[in-house]
Amino acid sequence: MFFHIVLERNMQLHPRHFGPHLRDKLVSKLIKDVEGTCSGRHGFVVAIMGVEDIGKGLIREGTGYVTFPVKYQCVVFRPFKGEILEAVVTMVNKMGFFAEAGLVQIFVSNHLILDDMKFQSGDVPSYTSSDGSVKIQKESEVRLKIIGTRVDATEIFCVGTIKDDFLGDISDPGAAV
Amino acid sequence: MARRDHDDDDEIEEEDEEEAYDLDEEEEEDEEDDYEEEARRGKASRGGGGRKRSREDNFIDDSAIEDEDEDDDDDDGGGRPRKKGGGGVRGFFDEEAQVDEDEEEEDEGEGEDDFINDAGADLPDENVIRGSRRHSIPMRDEEEDIDEIERQVRERYARSTHIEYGEEAAEVEQQALLPSVKDPKLWMVKCAIGHERETAICLMQKYIDRTDLQIKSVVALDHLKNYIYVEAEKEAHVKEACKGLRNIYASAKITLVPIKEMADVLSVESKSVDLSRDSWVRMKLGIYKGDLAKVVDVDNVRQRVDVKLIPRIDLQALASKLEGREAVKKKAFVPPPRFFNIDEAREMHIRVERRRDKESGEYFEWVDNLKFKDGFLYKSVSTKSIHTNNIQPTFDELEKFKKPGEDMNGDMASLSTLFANRKKGHFMKGDAVIVVKGDLKNLEGWVEKVEDETVHIRPKISDLPKTLAFNEKELCKYFKPGDHVKVISGVQEGATGMVVKVEGHVLIILSDTTKEHIHVFADHVVESSEITTGITRIGDYELHDLVLLDNLSFGVIIRVEAEAFQVLKGVPDRPEVVLVKLREIKSKIDRRSSAKDRSNNIISAKDVVRVIEGACKGKQGPVEHIHKGILFIYDRHHLEHAGFICAKAQSCLLVGGSTGGRRGNGMDTADARLGALRSSASILQSPGRLPPRGPIMNYGGRFGGGRGGRGHDALVGKCIKIKSGPYKGYRGRVKEVTGALVRVELDSLMKIVTVKRDDIADTPTVATPFREPRYSLGGETPMHPSRTPHHAYQTPMRDPGATPIHDGMRTPMRSRAWAPMSPPRDNWEDGNPATWGSSPAYQPGTPQARPYEAPTPGSGWANTPGVSFNDAPTPRDNYANAPSPYVPSTPVGQPMTPNSAAYLPGTPGGQPMTPGNVGMDIMSPIIGGEGDGTWLLPDVLVNVLRGGDDGPGVVREVLGDGSCRVALGSSGNGDMVTVLPNEVEVIRPKKSDRIKILNGNFRGYTGKLIGIDGSDGIVRLDDTYEVKILDMVILAKLAT
Repeated sequence: MFFHIVLERNMQLHPRHFGPHLRDKLVSKLIKDVEGTCSGRHGFVVAIMGVEDIGKGLIREGTGYVTFPVKYQCVVFRPFKGEILEAVVTMVNKMGFFAEAGLVQIFVSNHLILDDMKFQSGDVPSYTSSDGSVKIQKESEVRLKIIGTRVDATEIFCVGTIKDDFLGDISDPGAAV
Repeated sequence: MARRDHDDDDEIEEEDEEEAYDLDEEEEEDEEDDYEEEARRGKASRGGGGRKRSREDNFIDDSAIEDEDEDDDDDDGGGRPRKKGGGGVRGFFDEEAQVDEDEEEEDEGEGEDDFINDAGADLPDENVIRGSRRHSIPMRDEEEDIDEIERQVRERYARSTHIEYGEEAAEVEQQALLPSVKDPKLWMVKCAIGHERETAICLMQKYIDRTDLQIKSVVALDHLKNYIYVEAEKEAHVKEACKGLRNIYASAKITLVPIKEMADVLSVESKSVDLSRDSWVRMKLGIYKGDLAKVVDVDNVRQRVDVKLIPRIDLQALASKLEGREAVKKKAFVPPPRFFNIDEAREMHIRVERRRDKESGEYFEWVDNLKFKDGFLYKSVSTKSIHTNNIQPTFDELEKFKKPGEDMNGDMASLSTLFANRKKGHFMKGDAVIVVKGDLKNLEGWVEKVEDETVHIRPKISDLPKTLAFNEKELCKYFKPGDHVKVISGVQEGATGMVVKVEGHVLIILSDTTKEHIHVFADHVVESSEITTGITRIGDYELHDLVLLDNLSFGVIIRVEAEAFQVLKGVPDRPEVVLVKLREIKSKIDRRSSAKDRSNNIISAKDVVRVIEGACKGKQGPVEHIHKGILFIYDRHHLEHAGFICAKAQSCLLVGGSTGGRRGNGMDTADARLGALRSSASILQSPGRLPPRGPIMNYGGRFGGGRGGRGHDALVGKCIKIKSGPYKGYRGRVKEVTGALVRVELDSLMKIVTVKRDDIADTPTVATPFREPRYSLGGETPMHPSRTPHHAYQTPMRDPGATPIHDGMRTPMRSRAWAPMSPPRDNWEDGNPATWGSSPAYQPGTPQARPYEAPTPGSGWANTPGVSFNDAPTPRDNYANAPSPYVPSTPVGQPMTPNSAAYLPGTPGGQPMTPGNVGMDIMSPIIGGEGDGTWLLPDVLVNVLRGGDDGPGVVREVLGDGSCRVALGSSGNGDMVTVLPNEVEVIRPKKSDRIKILNGNFRGYTGKLIGIDGSDGIVRLDDTYEVKILDMVILAKLAT
């Protein structure tokens, strides 16, 4: 799920950046530092929407760096248990398949794939339903439900299922919404 | 007995037609046979065979009466122990009576009608008692009035059940039943070990026979060996009773059991009743020792258990045994457990009978007295020969026991065993649990409080009372898919993962580290947010360490198990995982090393590379370890082997790095560092140490690395004669030089021996001829002067270093015709005496070797200078910076005299640089003869060896820096690409191909290859129709 939240961060800036464009430097550094990172609590920082407030800088002794507390608005993405996501399959193996929704990696175990769908090894490994009408392979788009998340400091890993109504392959143009 | 057996058989044949009760009858009969035998044996031991019958008659009647008396007594006294004893005796008599009837019916040979009637009448009764009947001692030919007995028995039986032991009594009443001073006392009497029961029976019989005995009861306990208990008022009574018994020694001490302990003597140990149907046990003895077995039936009286096992049967042996052949007994051999296959057995002419089991009514296959069903062996064993406690069946074992299609869920067996093995404090507050037994089965809830065995749970359903109390055994932990759990016991202990599926009480977990499925019991896990790999360290070795193994192989630890490591060995192309114990690991490999990728880039740890060939083609990830040219790459998308991939450095490509030697100026410093590293390390055996990205390095490398190896190089590949020692007189070729030792491949013996260096004498003929013409002094020397002025201080350095160059030059050529990376490789080879021997491909001097003619150096130079000129400011700088540090380390006066001349072609390496800027044409003449710059020429057909654009191409244009523009496709009609010289390889012409001469005096000429003679090609030039013999190396196929 996406959230628009305000976060705070202490930015350290090299003295060479001090000058009329200090603020810009700070913001660009913030964007560089923060976008794409993952925090266990908030999830992935997708984009910084704006800077609310830049506090007073504090010179750090010895280094000359200055620390600014920066409050910024950003969009974060955090997967939740039970959430329905659409994801792109990145890898298929006999234990299930991996899919990615943005930065979030989701594993769908073969136990959580319809029993009807069987693993087909070969050049392009895939899960194929017995009548062959549905095929999940690399690059397929699937809709899945997250049943568990594991949040590390730097990564969010989810386990998903497609064993439910309206879940599964959606790459078929006819079925896609 | 013989007659009976016959009867049996008959009956079996008729089985199908006969009625059910008939079968029952038959069963009994069989049983009786057994017991009869037992009884006889017993009789014999008592020595009163003749008296048996009358005795037994008495036995029944008297005992019945006695017992009743006793009961009365009991009622008066109310002593608990006595009652127990009494009960036992009563049971005993019941059985007697029952069996007796059957016997008689049989023996009297009454009409069929009667028979059936009687049997029918008995049936209900039997059902009640059958379970405990086995222990009977059969009596035959009784002429008693059956009805009378039956009546008596029933009467007594009814009464005995009527006279309750106060089961319903309140606790206080129970207390009142405890023995007091007024009650008879309990004496402990020592008897022969193993004969406790027998002694007790004997005493009982004695009591029956002799009414004057004043003992009240006798008890033999299963768990107490060597002693029996006798209940009597006085010690003298006990003595009297024991007198003359075979199993009680006259001198045996008789001990009084204190009143307080009397109750304990007979209290039943709850532990011993654990054994129940469907629980798991392990065999203690025999070939099945340690095997898991499932209890199918328990006979508490006889202390026997029927178990179901996976048979370990050697059909071959069985077959030969059945055929009467005496199979050779191989003691050590234990057949592996395997399901019994009837068809297989029949094929081996083993007779398989299908018979119905008398007790269960199920059909079994019988083979040589072994019972099989569904492939399992059914075996009756003593309770003493099995382990019942703390059985932790592994998942694999259970899987095997699982019939196909049978759901693990319904397998209460595993549950019951699991329960028995639970640790204390299994449940904790907050645990999610599910009720697995009783009325509230499947109720979910959370643990609120735990009191010993009672667990209070808060049910999930709101209408129920706030907390419910359950016995611990009625509960099981409960997890939902998606829960993150940690395994706390069992084989997988320590692993964490996310629950993917719940199958009854088995969870399928996706391990955090291995991304593999793990099957565990719900009981073995706890919910946890922790993420671990389990144990990550044993001793000094940690997960993901690169370690050296015993047999000099190496690998990365990819999993740490309880006592061993799983190591992915450093074998490229095919992942090889071995399980090694701590002691099998020699050391940790902690050196920082680097390797060269396909395009000659230096790969060091943490660089991201892509595998471009081999089994793992396409994988990409950071390099975690490098050793001996093998990379261990971590690809997070790779699920096997904890994400590790093992690949040759040469089959990888640095991602983000340039594919040529095109590193910028900034490399100078790095190079120097690397060079230093190299020269300081005396064992330069890993290609990982390979130097340099830029040309500078080449020089540096050569000087530095050449230090130790140079002398050796000259020797390696040479034909020598051994002049002393055990191999004196042998000729051979030097394979490798290590210190003072030389490994020599003997020409005559086809083997490699190690001899002292002092023991060999050069035979200066065989290997050298290749060299001589090429590096003839005459050709080169003249150039020397011209060069020297330019690089005044270069020459001295170069001198010592040259030899390796020369040698090295040859090697790459051999291995890959065109050696796109030759210079760096040379260095490596130089510095690496070890590799000479170990990698045959690089062995110089081997006869099939292609000539090491100048062109290689040329190709090397051609590239490097080109590059260096682009990137590096001036040659002078290069030399000044990089190589100089190594000068001191270069030993002077290596015994390489013949080659000191030979190094000369290398020297030009310095030379062409200057002209390199100017252009090819200038350079070639300077170099003269077979100059070194095998610059490509237009229209030459080449193989492009670059990541994406592999394939043939036609050179269209050669740029100043040595790179060229190549049109892809064998006819040159594909895309135009610009490639570096080391990314292309000239296509060697075949006979009668049109060629272009790349080097030498005829550089640029075209012609036709009219023949090939070894390494020389016979060429007819187009212009002059002259026939020339030229080295194949300088010939390139022309595009058609």
